[in-house]
Amino acid sequence: MAAALFDIAAERLGESSQMDRLAARGTLRLALKQAGLDANHLTIPQLRTVFEKLMPKQLEARGVTNPAASCKTAMAAVERMASKTEWVAADSPDEIFKRLGGN
Amino acid sequence: MEEYAYITPLLASAFYLIASVRLFDLHRRTDERPELLLALYFALSGLFYLGYNIPSLFQFDAWPPLVGIAIEWVYNLGVFPYLFFIRSVFRSDDAWAGWLVGVCSMLLLAGGLMLTAAGSVDYSLSNPWFIVQWIGYTTPCAWMCWEAMLARHGAQKRARLGLSQPLVVNRYLLLALFGGFQVLACLSDLSLANDISSTQAVSTISNVLVGGTEIASVAVLWLAFLPPRFYRRWIDGRAALRSAPAEEG
Repeated sequence: MAAALFDIAAERLGESSQMDRLAARGTLRLALKQAGLDANHLTIPQLRTVFEKLMPKQLEARGVTNPAASCKTAMAAVERMASKTEWVAADSPDEIFKRLGGN
Repeated sequence: MEEYAYITPLLASAFYLIASVRLFDLHRRTDERPELLLALYFALSGLFYLGYNIPSLFQFDAWPPLVGIAIEWVYNLGVFPYLFFIRSVFRSDDAWAGWLVGVCSMLLLAGGLMLTAAGSVDYSLSNPWFIVQWIGYTTPCAWMCWEAMLARHGAQKRARLGLSQPLVVNRYLLLALFGGFQVLACLSDLSLANDISSTQAVSTISNVLVGGTEIASVAVLWLAFLPPRFYRRWIDGRAALRSAPAEEG
């Protein structure tokens, strides 16, 4: 399910930034790597943070005009889709390690 | 000094059992598998150390061979949930991790079965099945150390974006240290085996190695699973100090 979220996010990013499919996927993968995130265990809040804090700079570096607006549009489209789907995020190592210490 | 060598493994045993009770309780509340797997590992490790050191504690020579073998199996069985824990937490999507679990399991089973067939526990370096078993239980410790370090690296990046908590980042480090100390403990097993092979007695160096690594392991587990309030505050405070200049800039 999380891999599907990556696919949808890359697709929406491509549409909003006018990048081709490969470039959009590569850019998203780079941003996720920079954030220490795994495309296979991605959640909506994590994606939102990436689109707000990291993606605008990535898009700017690729010459996308108005990167912040592109990110906002892409994320809004992903969230609209997400609201129609039942997303079940897999238990991430962070969640497990959080429980183990009782916090 | 040798006559007190059982004290640190007994302390480790007590702590492992306490940690397992806490994790069993957590599993009862969450019904999640990782806590159950880790609870089983600590419970069986605690029982192994307890059983292994009872002869020294009550000052008799050794367990009858069959009891010795049973105690060895308790440890071997404890490594299986540890392997499954590492795989399910860090590498649930990777086929190679399944193979690694399979290979370690085979080594543990082969070593344990040959030990049982021999009819007594033989820790000497001349016993190839001891080495087979040793590789089977040392590999998961090194694997845990490696995976926890990698996870910490990713969590540090997430923490900078507010996507991971400083205590969780630190817990990865503590579990990596635990894996590392356990590798050292396993290496001290080789030192013990060398002593037994050559002099039939355990040297002070081996005792210090075993005791030191166990004390260090218990210390990091205590901070990981039962972090005291001052430690939580220290970790959170340090993280806040680090992020403050970044936010100002």
